[in-house]
Amino acid sequence: MPNASDTETVRAPGARPAAAGSARAGRGGFLLPPWARWAGLALGAALVLLFPELSPNAYVLSAGVIVASYACTATAWSFMGGFTGYVSLGHAAFFGLGAYGTGILIRDLDLQPFLAWLLSGLIVLVITVPIGIAALRVRGASFVIVSISFVLILLLVFQAWEGFTGGANGLNVPRPFADLYRPDHHRIFYYLFVALLAAMLVSWWAIDRSRFGAGLKAIREDEDKAEALGVPTRDYKLAAYLVSATFTALAGGMYALWFGDLDPIFQFSILLGAYMVLMALLGGARHLFGPLVGAVVVGSALEYFKLEFGDTQLHLVATALLLGVVVLFMPDGVIPAATALLRRLGPQASSIREITAEELLARNRAASGGSADPADPLPTEGAGDSDPAGPGNQRKEG
Amino acid sequence: MDGTLLFQSLVLGVLLGGLYAILAAGLTLYFGVMRVVMIAHSAFVILAAYLAWFFHQETGLDPLFSMVLTVPLFFGIGVLMQRLLITRLRPATLTMMSVLLTFAIALLIEGLLGLFWSGTQRRIQLSYSGANFEFFGARVAVVKLIAFGLAVVALALLFLLMKKTRFGQALRATIQHKEAAQLVGIKTDRVAGIGFGIGLATAAVGGTALSLDATIYPSLHWSWIGPLMAIIVVGGLGSIPGTAIAALVLGIGQSLLQVELGTTWAQTLFYVALFATLMLRPQGFFGGRLAQRF
Repeated sequence: MPNASDTETVRAPGARPAAAGSARAGRGGFLLPPWARWAGLALGAALVLLFPELSPNAYVLSAGVIVASYACTATAWSFMGGFTGYVSLGHAAFFGLGAYGTGILIRDLDLQPFLAWLLSGLIVLVITVPIGIAALRVRGASFVIVSISFVLILLLVFQAWEGFTGGANGLNVPRPFADLYRPDHHRIFYYLFVALLAAMLVSWWAIDRSRFGAGLKAIREDEDKAEALGVPTRDYKLAAYLVSATFTALAGGMYALWFGDLDPIFQFSILLGAYMVLMALLGGARHLFGPLVGAVVVGSALEYFKLEFGDTQLHLVATALLLGVVVLFMPDGVIPAATALLRRLGPQASSIREITAEELLARNRAASGGSADPADPLPTEGAGDSDPAGPGNQRKEG
Repeated sequence: MDGTLLFQSLVLGVLLGGLYAILAAGLTLYFGVMRVVMIAHSAFVILAAYLAWFFHQETGLDPLFSMVLTVPLFFGIGVLMQRLLITRLRPATLTMMSVLLTFAIALLIEGLLGLFWSGTQRRIQLSYSGANFEFFGARVAVVKLIAFGLAVVALALLFLLMKKTRFGQALRATIQHKEAAQLVGIKTDRVAGIGFGIGLATAAVGGTALSLDATIYPSLHWSWIGPLMAIIVVGGLGSIPGTAIAALVLGIGQSLLQVELGTTWAQTLFYVALFATLMLRPQGFFGGRLAQRF
């Protein structure tokens, strides 16, 4: 496979391309040469865009819309969970708020549906500021507790406040394209979800390459050291949280416009938040396309389970087992797991570092050689493993 | 609100707080020994309640006797869980990943309960289910009092174990500073395993107490985990006395609010308290030096 050839290029044609190649390998773990990545990207995009034409019936198309919405939520989740390593089990809260915000704005203010959608994203952004400040005052355990509690409290409130939210009777959101047939409706929303996903992926990619992204990753690897080095950890975390929440809310609002019927039990469901985490982790939360891959796998599996086993609790058991396996055996997701496997089958690297000493030497030589630009901060993805986790690692900020 | 009603809800609040205290004590214990937020705790509580119900169904004996089986069983499961699952996680990401792992366990329990015993609501009918007595003008259900008694006995045992035994000393040392505990010769791994087992054993006790008085169904654990987690944060993560005090205060608060606002809104008290704690005193109100680091 291409990874073998990658190491070949490192050795063969002089120092400068080698530096570029190894920097890329260090960055994401992808070992494919550039042309293969572009070809893969084009192929993936074509498949995604052609899906509605390929789907045999309206049911498959609607399942595709659901998977696309899962992909949006999982990618939105990874803005927080992937970059900073803060696992939020409560992102369903933002999904539900976005959905209900859209629905209520249309119902009460009679806004144009997509205007309501944008506005509700904005409202969620504002609501998230105090929540984020409260949640991010503490690290680790308390953050998770807050995130779960936020969903639970919203579930309670939206169920109890019937006059405003429709309570357990549900909230009916009028369809934005009232004169379309079901399949056409699905098709339009499939493309809308894909467009939203594309916007997220581009933002993710831009953040990944930015100083902001480097700061977030530094927080993930060692928050104390990052802070000591002058990363404004609180502001960065809050910013990432806001981006993540807003995108989740936009996905939720889109879902409301598509599905047209909201129920607190399903919108503010812990299970939905768990799906986001599962999808992102399964695919690899640190990778651009990881959550998307995870969403395709988990989303299709969920749809299959619903179709095959209906209302039984089997999908819970399956989700639980899958989550357990992912957490225990491949917490970095399938993309790194697959890359590691390829690497193991390919030429052996003896170092536990992300880049080998050899590659580092080649890189440094290239750097001192002049024009090469490996100045971008290298993410130290291996640091988590090699650092013994003393209590100092997890000390709270003052 | 007149005096009798106030007193009535105060008494109910204390009884409820006792139950909260024993349930949250387990959570505190896991967090103390392993820095693990055990989402599955309340799922195990519901599992114990189901086992008590099943035991009563099959044998006709009082569900309290089911503890003879469930407490050792849960202790064993707890030890195994810590030894086989939690220790497999990477130390650097232990807190986050353990949340996900225990979340998966909670889902698994919920799913299996649904598969075996369906989603139907269950309730144990006992000869003394409807009985209650007068306590200075307040009506107290006997089952609530039994549940409270169980909680108090279990908490007292836990307290004695922690304070008076050699093992308790080792456990507290492990909670306070793992590396230092290792240096003085404590086998912290084994201690943590047993601590986990004890935590899960309290879930068995709490679940049995709960089964006396509550209608149970598989997804019930979600409505318990939120309040319990709020309690351990308000109490200061890792401090058992702090947890007990917070449980009592919040239990009484919930009970008092229930009169005015109804059950649903009263439950939001826990979350309000949680957010207030994080805003004002992230380390918790009742001690817990540990919490500062998290």
